[in-house]
Amino acid sequence: MGRERIGWGDHCVAGNCCQRNPFRAPERIPGMWRMGLSFGRVPDEALLTGLTTGDPELAVAFVRRFQSTVHGVALAVLGDAQLAEDVAQQTFERAWRHAQMFDSRRGSVRAWLTTIAHNLAIDAVRARRARPVAPEDLDALLGSMTETPERRALADDNAERVRRAVAELPREQARALVMAGIYGMTAWEVAEAEHIPLGTAKTRIRTGTRKVRALLETEERR
Amino acid sequence: MECERLREQGAELALGILPARERAEAVAHLDRCPDCREHVERLTAVGDGLLALLPDAEPPVGFESRVVRALGAAPAAKPRRHRLRLAAAAVAATVACGFGGWAVGTVVEGAPSSVSRRTDGDLREAALVSGGHEVGRIFTHGGDRGWVYMSVELPGTDRGPVRCLLVHADGSTVPMGSFPLKDGYGYWGAPAPVDPTTVTGARLVGPDGSVLATARFPTS
Repeated sequence: MGRERIGWGDHCVAGNCCQRNPFRAPERIPGMWRMGLSFGRVPDEALLTGLTTGDPELAVAFVRRFQSTVHGVALAVLGDAQLAEDVAQQTFERAWRHAQMFDSRRGSVRAWLTTIAHNLAIDAVRARRARPVAPEDLDALLGSMTETPERRALADDNAERVRRAVAELPREQARALVMAGIYGMTAWEVAEAEHIPLGTAKTRIRTGTRKVRALLETEERR
Repeated sequence: MECERLREQGAELALGILPARERAEAVAHLDRCPDCREHVERLTAVGDGLLALLPDAEPPVGFESRVVRALGAAPAAKPRRHRLRLAAAAVAATVACGFGGWAVGTVVEGAPSSVSRRTDGDLREAALVSGGHEVGRIFTHGGDRGWVYMSVELPGTDRGPVRCLLVHADGSTVPMGSFPLKDGYGYWGAPAPVDPTTVTGARLVGPDGSVLATARFPTS
């Protein structure tokens, strides 16, 4: 054991350890029911470290901590419960296989998982069919994303800044941004769905993105 | 491609919706234009931020068990062979990280308690102490699937890399790994066999060999 082991890590914070639903009854995996408590304080990166060792208790703790986030992303993009569950499972499998690739300098474990889930969900959408999102679905999602803090607690300050920025956008720009950024729709697909010229769709996506970025930078400087 | 055109397409590129051919041209431009690269990276944060706004949704009952089984981590009644699954990660050149990163702000958890404690199972936790003050935490998980994780904050210390050593009951030390501190903060973890019957503590050692912090695991 004289050699140093290859690990991972950097300057990251030990964060995001919330149990999103502590009252949810744990599933019956023998000997594990207490683990939600015992691992509750372990930082996300530590759980990811342990996940690679194949320890079932750590795997349960890891999945339990992030499953509602991962499943929420998949469900929002896909709108199909079965497909969303499949994508959520694939997300954990991919995270487990590629845990060594995690780099805290690029974001949190939760953000990493969210991106994996989103990419897989977009792939699933594109493989299935090109679908213009139903207007009522888009409005419902946009409403949920811009809910005020009193109605929904967000994971961190940055998310709250993004929420405020999106809420300030003109409706048509916010719609275009969500179509592109969440549903992965191209400018051409946005144009088709909104019955607008391609150039207008591109402008809305570009302007919406830049405005949110500008608002974020303004708040970051404060 | 000119910078002006890249700036027009930057949002679509950052959101991952630029068609393949245009995307290839844009990426080629970014390879040689740091200003445009920075511009797109800033825009990428918008797409990452949008994902953080999506509402959570509890998966169906049984999901947790199915995932754990799929990971091959189903509980077993007898000791299992050492089987670190690290090799697979080496081939992962393109993990599902979108272009430009997925940076989203992280959250600082409340400060942990300063009391070392023994937790359920083989998980052990102890405070890293320097000059009588807690400066971090170390976690170890025992057994042949063991691992070590530590996070440390030493304000004013930006010298690295620092090394983690486990201390055994006979006084011997075993180097586990090293990691950098940035603005005095860093963390590190790695799979490592940890025998809870012999490992009694840990040391964090600076590049010059000086002991920066120590930890002592509680005895059972």
